[in-house]
Amino acid sequence: MNCVELQESLAEVEIDDGGSVDQKAHLRNCPHCSALVDELSRIVAAASELQAADEPSPRVWNSIAIQLRQEGLIRPQPRRPVVPSFTARWGQTRWLVPAAAALLLLVGIYVRQESLPNQLAKHAAAVEIANPSGLDDEDLMQEVAANAPAMQPEYADNLRRVNESIEDAQSAVNDDPNDPEARRALMDAYQQKSMLFEMAMDRP
Amino acid sequence: MVSRRTAKMVAIGVLVAGALVAESKKEFHYTVGPKAGVSVMNPYGSISVRPSTNNMVVVNAVLHSDKVEVDNSQTGNRVDIQSHLLAGADAESGRVDYEVLVPSDASVTLHSSTGSLHAEKLHGDVSLEGPGATVDVRDVSDAHVHVKTMNGPVTLNNIQNGHVEVDSLSGDVTLTGVNGPLVQVVSTSGRINYIGDFGNSGEYRLTSHSGDIEATIPEWTSADVVAHSVRGEVHDDIPLQPKTHTWFPVDKGRAFAGTMGRVAVSSTVVLRTFSGKIHLRKRSEKQ
Repeated sequence: MNCVELQESLAEVEIDDGGSVDQKAHLRNCPHCSALVDELSRIVAAASELQAADEPSPRVWNSIAIQLRQEGLIRPQPRRPVVPSFTARWGQTRWLVPAAAALLLLVGIYVRQESLPNQLAKHAAAVEIANPSGLDDEDLMQEVAANAPAMQPEYADNLRRVNESIEDAQSAVNDDPNDPEARRALMDAYQQKSMLFEMAMDRP
Repeated sequence: MVSRRTAKMVAIGVLVAGALVAESKKEFHYTVGPKAGVSVMNPYGSISVRPSTNNMVVVNAVLHSDKVEVDNSQTGNRVDIQSHLLAGADAESGRVDYEVLVPSDASVTLHSSTGSLHAEKLHGDVSLEGPGATVDVRDVSDAHVHVKTMNGPVTLNNIQNGHVEVDSLSGDVTLTGVNGPLVQVVSTSGRINYIGDFGNSGEYRLTSHSGDIEATIPEWTSADVVAHSVRGEVHDDIPLQPKTHTWFPVDKGRAFAGTMGRVAVSSTVVLRTFSGKIHLRKRSEKQ
């Protein structure tokens, strides 16, 4: 298994338990891929911690109750039992309370998750700069050396240019993850690098 | 006794003869039907494609040494030509130069690492690819034109009603009189130069990371123009009716968005760079 195969296999097989035999063997001998897997694992762990922090506080429930009372969805009962039950308190509209609470909880989680990618992007971006695309530049140059040795200087120059463009765009995304133009520039830069790899692999 | 002068002349004659013997020409003829497919794969050397006057594909190949041979085949309506490098071949000895005639409605695929790629006066799809190839396409209409290069310059001239896509890493791209429903150019550091009128009510997307983009258009162009640079500058020589609502902040000097000409028939033009300059110029009467 080489670096490209390992990175492709990450999308299909989770390696929480260390991975397959081939993956383990490669990670033992490849510090580059080993570092990549460590970083990915850290990102996944960070994501689960952020989700756990989204549980709403008891004040949220109180706010829901106040809002429902103000909107007249909750009416006082004429006679109150000594120990009021939940159903007696809320009457016919009692089902609205947990439904509204669930809805507000979902909205809160959704809003939080919308900002989650930005935080992950920042974390991932800090990781990505060290290796702009995850594609192995050494593999590219080895392929060029084998298929088109006369063009090694041109490929090296263009690889440098495209890596610089990825770093530029990544830097802009780090500064403002919500900037759509910066994100588009980053996507274009990755696509250009992908094209460079395709050209190197393509043998006329 | 042979004089020195005579000996030199003989030696020169032998060398020239040797070179001529090493270089050889081959010619192939194929009969094809409508909308044939023709593919030429050539690691080293040029490929030039022009229209034939009948339903024949004619391939003329000049092989620069005996370290390369031409594999050719026809399967139905498809012709495939491939330069086959033999042991010991390099960029010089493995070079083959092709002149190809095809029916004008044929779809053509050309691939060369270092040579020039040329296609003209065709109505079928044209696909040209080569890391260091110089690409020149002209007088093509009603067809898709796809170009992919690394650092070779690309020149497109008089491409009408076409679906044009150009991907270039560092080569400059020049489009003159290129109109169609879609014209898209993406470059990393190459410059993009458009001279035309953004016609056909099409979609024009010119994107470069650090290369400059220059579009020279007449005043009567009808287009909805958006230009944006993340870190570069934008300049606009043509008065535009400003857009009241855009999806990005229109920072003066970094972006502009507006309409010119007749809205009903306008094209959509998007000019984007990361750090390159964008300049929308007015074409003078002399151009």
